[in-house]
Amino acid sequence: MSRVPIAILCVILSLSTWQTAQSAAPVPPAARWIPQNALIAIDISNPKALIDLAFNPQIIAKVKSVPAYKQITSKPDVQQLFGLFKFLEASLGTDWPTALKKSTGGGITLAACPDDISLIIIDAQDGKMLARLHKMFLNIAKDDAKKKGQPNRVRSAVYRDVTGWTFNGKETHALIGNRLIFANKSKGLINMLDLRADGGAKSLYALPAYQAAKKASSTGTIASAFVNMGVLKHVPPITKVLANNQNPLATLLFGGVTEALQDSNWLALGLGIKGNTLSLHATVDGKTDDPNGAASFAFPDMLDKGALPNLVVPRRIAAMSIWRDLRAFYAAKDDFFPERTSALIFFENMMGIFFSGRDLTEDVLAETHPQVRIVVAEQTFAHGTPPTKLPAFAAVFQLRNPEKFALVAEEAWQKAIGLINFTRGQQAQAGMIIRQPTHNGTTYTMAYFLPGEKDAEMQIYHNFRPSLATIGNSLILSSTDELAEDLIDSLKKQRNLPPKALPSTNSVVELDTTALASILAANRDILIRNNIVEKGNTPQKATFEIDLLLTIIQNLGRMNLSLENRHSLNYATLQWTLN
Amino acid sequence: MFAQNETKPPPDMKTIDPQWAWSPYQPDTRRPWNLARAGHLYRRAAFGADWNQLQRTLDEGPRRTIERLLAPQADVAAFNQQFDRYETSSAASNSTDALRPWWLMRMMQSPHPLLEKMTLFWHGHFALSGAKVKNTRLMSRYVQQLRGEALGRFDSMLTALSHDPAVLLDRDAGANRKSKPCEHAPRELMAGTCLGNGNFSEKDIQEAARAFTGWFVLKGQVRFIPREYDSDAKQILGERGNFNDTDVVRLLLKQPATPRLLVRKLYRLLISETDEPSDAIVEPLAQSFAAEYDIAALVGLMLRSNLFFSPVAYRRRIKSPVEFTLGIVKGLEATVPAVRLGRDLADLGQNLYEPPTSAGWPGGRHWINPATSLARANLAFALLSPKKPYEGKLDPMAVAQKHGHQTGEAAERFLLDLFLQGDVETTVREAVLKHKRSEPSQELRRTAHIIVSLPEFQLA
Repeated sequence: MSRVPIAILCVILSLSTWQTAQSAAPVPPAARWIPQNALIAIDISNPKALIDLAFNPQIIAKVKSVPAYKQITSKPDVQQLFGLFKFLEASLGTDWPTALKKSTGGGITLAACPDDISLIIIDAQDGKMLARLHKMFLNIAKDDAKKKGQPNRVRSAVYRDVTGWTFNGKETHALIGNRLIFANKSKGLINMLDLRADGGAKSLYALPAYQAAKKASSTGTIASAFVNMGVLKHVPPITKVLANNQNPLATLLFGGVTEALQDSNWLALGLGIKGNTLSLHATVDGKTDDPNGAASFAFPDMLDKGALPNLVVPRRIAAMSIWRDLRAFYAAKDDFFPERTSALIFFENMMGIFFSGRDLTEDVLAETHPQVRIVVAEQTFAHGTPPTKLPAFAAVFQLRNPEKFALVAEEAWQKAIGLINFTRGQQAQAGMIIRQPTHNGTTYTMAYFLPGEKDAEMQIYHNFRPSLATIGNSLILSSTDELAEDLIDSLKKQRNLPPKALPSTNSVVELDTTALASILAANRDILIRNNIVEKGNTPQKATFEIDLLLTIIQNLGRMNLSLENRHSLNYATLQWTLN
Repeated sequence: MFAQNETKPPPDMKTIDPQWAWSPYQPDTRRPWNLARAGHLYRRAAFGADWNQLQRTLDEGPRRTIERLLAPQADVAAFNQQFDRYETSSAASNSTDALRPWWLMRMMQSPHPLLEKMTLFWHGHFALSGAKVKNTRLMSRYVQQLRGEALGRFDSMLTALSHDPAVLLDRDAGANRKSKPCEHAPRELMAGTCLGNGNFSEKDIQEAARAFTGWFVLKGQVRFIPREYDSDAKQILGERGNFNDTDVVRLLLKQPATPRLLVRKLYRLLISETDEPSDAIVEPLAQSFAAEYDIAALVGLMLRSNLFFSPVAYRRRIKSPVEFTLGIVKGLEATVPAVRLGRDLADLGQNLYEPPTSAGWPGGRHWINPATSLARANLAFALLSPKKPYEGKLDPMAVAQKHGHQTGEAAERFLLDLFLQGDVETTVREAVLKHKRSEPSQELRRTAHIIVSLPEFQLA
């Protein structure tokens, strides 16, 4: 027992306290005891739902079936921790999930404050064993301190009529009525006790931003979080992240998100659980709906407009559907990237060559509708497998004048393939051959490298068979012919029943981790090799880490993230369905 | 510790008796087999040692240890095959950045560190630039060629490398036509690889260049195209004949200057880079080496010698950045993230696969200046830090405790023995041990950093 770190005892204590029956008087909201300068505050109002999910027999069975589980749980430290849990269960006369539910049923609040101060406030439901439990941990901590020759490490002091304890000389905690308060530094506990004594006038609860965030996140949730963006966005690393980045692709994809966060005072998160699906809703109060603003390219100008639903293809790993006005984005490039970098100049020169001198903004990008869909899927190989198996990816654009622009795109695409062939030829490398096959009644253009005669001759470039197809007003630009054909099939199915746009939605991302795990498993050896040199692990440890990662990813299930802008607020919703 | 009962190296190398110099060292009371000599052997014939290796070496004595270093019992071939596979897969990325970490991992984990050390030595001798070759697979194969003969035969290595596609590309000989023979390759071969300046004429280079015509590198493969070969007679190094490339290699190996140059170069690696050996010291080795060009025999002879275990050799070389960092890593019985290490070593001036010139790394005092001294200290600090970038892989306290040193002071003394075999001036020892101790594990990291930043640790 003595080898169990005292910090673990402290955390267990903070999660396992009971409240005495006579102290059931109403307590003020936990946020009244949290300082106003808290950067993040998480309020788990219904811990029981989370505990039920964590101890779901199906999930436990899955965790136990992971090969790494045995390896991890056979370690002496972990065995000792299990021993402690069993000891606590025996001492308390109940199983661990029940104990947790009883001890935290009133809610858990966590807060991160400046100076690396962390606070935990736990409102217990059943308090009969509180004194007994605290005494139990106190004795363990005293024994441990004595064995280490530091008997003074466990001590108590009275402040504002409350007895505060420390078990390791660093953490501090106190029991007050129905509540256990815990801080990683004594300064944190003192702050909480001061706020309690003053009635919380200068607490987080009194902050209008907190109240607004609470209102935005509390409906139907089991947990909510408040992020004080007003303070947080001035923390240098966050400021750096939110600063205008110079990566055009990132600006295009995250258009509006960084602007919303830059303009926001708060970020509210709400977590809900239904069956095995977790829903996380995020709201920020930052304004991004200025039709003349730089980020306007990322927001539908009418409430009924928005991104299309994602396309479905076999072996799909991920899909993203976005509303991005490419013409408006490129027209605003000088606002986003005032510096004309060599990369931008090169890009413009190349586009000038590919599109035969057309104006990129008005003659090319203006030909596309803001609804763009991207698909990533696992690919299959008819002849051997390349040393690194990459997923196929494709973008589907909606053309305004397909009859006119399809051939312009075809010409540009063939020029690009020609340029690649020429450049590779200069380096004595294989080039691609262009052909025009027909699939499901649609003739499209594809380019391919001749396959190697033997499996060993397959190269990374065999992952690519770039293809271009036009179906109605949809233009498919795919890294492989296989995905292009799957998209042709998918789009043809939609002809009779065109998909409806998702109102006010500017991004929808879907991820299937089972498919992701499949392609990662196909590249397992490469991941292990990278782990060896990147982390300095032995082959055995690298293999263990990668196999554990693959198992976790395989079991994560499906995720769906959507971003919306309604009534001047920006919303993000993440739905995660566990396998 | 080492210099106990011994004299300082004689100021004039001419006074050393070659017979005594190259005779096998026999420990005696005046020159005992001790921790300092064991550490010296591992610094030169490996990349440093861990505590168990030092203890085993003390038990086994110099003869058996050197035998083991030259030909370990472990399955070296299987180890190298596994790493060859790793390397070959990484070579697909078309950048030597992907190869560098694998070589460093090999150096950290190889059961045959002397082989890796010699491969690194030959990489400096047959120095190619990955940036110029622009083909990672060829660079990978070139180092595998070096490894294959690193302790084998120099004549085989020279013959193989004279047709190596990476070597030909680096020497601008990827298309060697009789109408315009490439002189770069034979010039490097004569000046840097075999004879040394002053032992050949410009005419010899021109004639040898004609002998090398007809060889091309096409799609990464070497091909001989007979119509591009100059088949006329050539006059090379005093001999006349219808020589081809193989004949040039044979002629070079016949020259007495070739073994002399190689012995002198190996002398700098294994004995001393501060004192130039006299001809009398070099000649016996050069003559025996010329008989079969057996590298392992020459290296073994040097390692076993009285000279190697004398003050002439002890701490008479400055560690290269690779030796410096791996000395820390090996001592602390771990492996560290090699991608990052490769970049940091490049910053210190030793960018594997990218020697600065065709003469390799100049070494010696070139390794040390105020900037690199500071950079070495910073790299050691990063390696010994419990956090990123090296993920706290090195844990001096865990190693000290593993070897029975539980308290802070005992652990600090252990580190002095581990890294410097305790061979430091009393004042330095006291300075290292004299500071307040806070959290023992953190404090020991600080002590380890102080020790590896000492001038003594920079010496091999």
